[in-house]
Amino acid sequence: MADKTDPHRSDPAPSEMSDADKDRLVKSTRRFDLRRILGALFVVYGLIVTIVGIVDYSSDIHRTEGIAINLWTGLSMLVLGILFFVWDHFSPVPESDIVHSAEILEEEREVGEGKKIG
Amino acid sequence: MVQATPLVHSAVSNSIKLNLSWVDILMIGIYFAVVIGIAFVARSRVKTSMDFFLSGRSMPAWITGLAFVSANLGATEILGMAANGAQIGMATLHYYLIGAVPAMVFLGLVLMPFYYGSKVRSVPEFMLRRFGKPSHIANSIAFAVSNVLIAGINLYAMAIVIEAMLGWPEWLAIIVSGGFVLVYITLGGLSSAIYNEVMQFFVIVAGLVPLTIVGLNRIHGWGGLVDALKHTQSAKLLSTWAGTGIGDVTNPIGANWLAIVFGLGFVLSFGYWTTNFTEVQRALSAKNMSAARRTPLIGAFPKLFIPFLVIIPGLIAAATFGNQLSADATSGKLTYNDVIPKLIQLYLPTGVLGIAVTGLLASFMAGMAANVSSFNTVFTYDIWQRYIRKDRPDGYYLTVGRWVTVIGVLIGILTAFIAASAGNIMTYLQTLFSFFNAPLFGVFILGLIWKRMTGVAAFWSYLAGIVAPAIVYTAYLLNNKLFETATAETLYGAIISFVTVIVLGLILSTFTTPKTIDELKGLVYGVGKIDLTKDVVAGDTAWYRSPALLGTAALVLCVVLYLPFL
Repeated sequence: MADKTDPHRSDPAPSEMSDADKDRLVKSTRRFDLRRILGALFVVYGLIVTIVGIVDYSSDIHRTEGIAINLWTGLSMLVLGILFFVWDHFSPVPESDIVHSAEILEEEREVGEGKKIG
Repeated sequence: MVQATPLVHSAVSNSIKLNLSWVDILMIGIYFAVVIGIAFVARSRVKTSMDFFLSGRSMPAWITGLAFVSANLGATEILGMAANGAQIGMATLHYYLIGAVPAMVFLGLVLMPFYYGSKVRSVPEFMLRRFGKPSHIANSIAFAVSNVLIAGINLYAMAIVIEAMLGWPEWLAIIVSGGFVLVYITLGGLSSAIYNEVMQFFVIVAGLVPLTIVGLNRIHGWGGLVDALKHTQSAKLLSTWAGTGIGDVTNPIGANWLAIVFGLGFVLSFGYWTTNFTEVQRALSAKNMSAARRTPLIGAFPKLFIPFLVIIPGLIAAATFGNQLSADATSGKLTYNDVIPKLIQLYLPTGVLGIAVTGLLASFMAGMAANVSSFNTVFTYDIWQRYIRKDRPDGYYLTVGRWVTVIGVLIGILTAFIAASAGNIMTYLQTLFSFFNAPLFGVFILGLIWKRMTGVAAFWSYLAGIVAPAIVYTAYLLNNKLFETATAETLYGAIISFVTVIVLGLILSTFTTPKTIDELKGLVYGVGKIDLTKDVVAGDTAWYRSPALLGTAALVLCVVLYLPFL
């Protein structure tokens, strides 16, 4: 039943995947690497909190009795966010991993159907 | 010492209503927009039912490892452990250092090769392979029912806090948070859940660290905290093992060291962390054997340090307004569970406030999502596929999985509404469910080391292991003098359950026929060989990725972290 409605069945069979297909697959997978999402979130949060830390500097110090907590947290989050991008840049998901998981689609279906242990 | 400000808050208000500015609300909004975004990205990658239920077994170890600890970092964990921090103090460390971390190490080093190596898709499926259908049915149903109800109870717990912090009515909080979970799990399945768990982990840490720092600063550092606790006669809260002698129990848990080590550590924690599919599922989604074994080991390291971010705030609360905390939720006073929201209200200014609230909301939802994403897997593969609709194409099971998710969340929401009108019964239910893991662990451990253990023995000892602690618990409800505290009751209940399973399992196995050696390959210790290096990739052999090294380091840290608080 779901076969007809499943748009992914129309994907090129893995064995026929051309180099251009593989390239596109690798790019689209890497674009949404979790490290980039985390990096973006923390850079945005870091900037917001740092700005609050500068604007509200004196009221923060008063509230916390001496720690510019927004400034410190904001800058730390900013650094962490950048580190996620650096990590992603220097060690992207290996191409072989991405292509491999696309190639075993049939096998995965059989495992899902409970026909094959694997 | 001259103090600029009074250390003890003489009268804090009972309300934990937070004063959020537009900046804080903006940050909450950004987070949930990202959550939905992730769900759509994950949706486009779900092509098979295995993608939906087990992320296609493609996740790297750092992601599954963080998701492993984060799946447990829900409302009950963060608020509950901080409450413990305020109530029993540093002894809360037992839950982490003698409980969770050794169990995680055991899972990674000993059990995971069996789970991942046998290529089962769920923990009940392992039960099926090792012990046959009766145990499998019992385990699948117990897991599915308890998990969907726990999801509902968690949803209710979260709605109360959202109501108190943000002023939303309970029903709105239940529907909005349930709705979010529904959308992101139905779309993206386990990948959605795992990505959000990892994100949630970093955000909640980013919220709890400033809270702990500001709290410590306001109380004039660690020394100030110790002084303040001594001043309020709560110095007992600073030690972990003092007063746990057998026959001389004066510690706040109300149990001796043997009950703590065996009950809390060995039975309850090993049971929870090694047989609860909600946890194990994260490891089963790892991309190869090496990553699966490292999942709980990588999770162990944050788990070693999270306690300090919840216990220390708990202690600060005990020192500054401990006399105003009540254990009774109906008293109208602040309860121990309000500790974290109260400190956030007192100490965090706009900015970090938004981060902390986002982290709390995210962790509440991630906790429920973890329940739902393991429930749908067991229901679809272990119940629907195995016993109701066999031999359909994979796409059918994917569709079923999505519908089961919708139905599971709806039952959860319904449960939450029932809980709202019968809060206490629900707490009892949750305590009862906590017994389900102890007998399962007993069955698994005996079946793992003893090839002679039979399916019949497994089934009956498993059932007896559920019934026995339920009897103990009922007796305790009728006569609460039986045990010093409710926590002590759970420890002894777990021990009784475990012993029942082992004794009954040994006796029944001798009268019944075991499976042949051939059927037990890869399922019992020493029977057949498990390939620990299957699908290994180049980086997996790096020395710092060695499971034995990671496990040993985690255990050493367990001992070291106890030392300052003996």
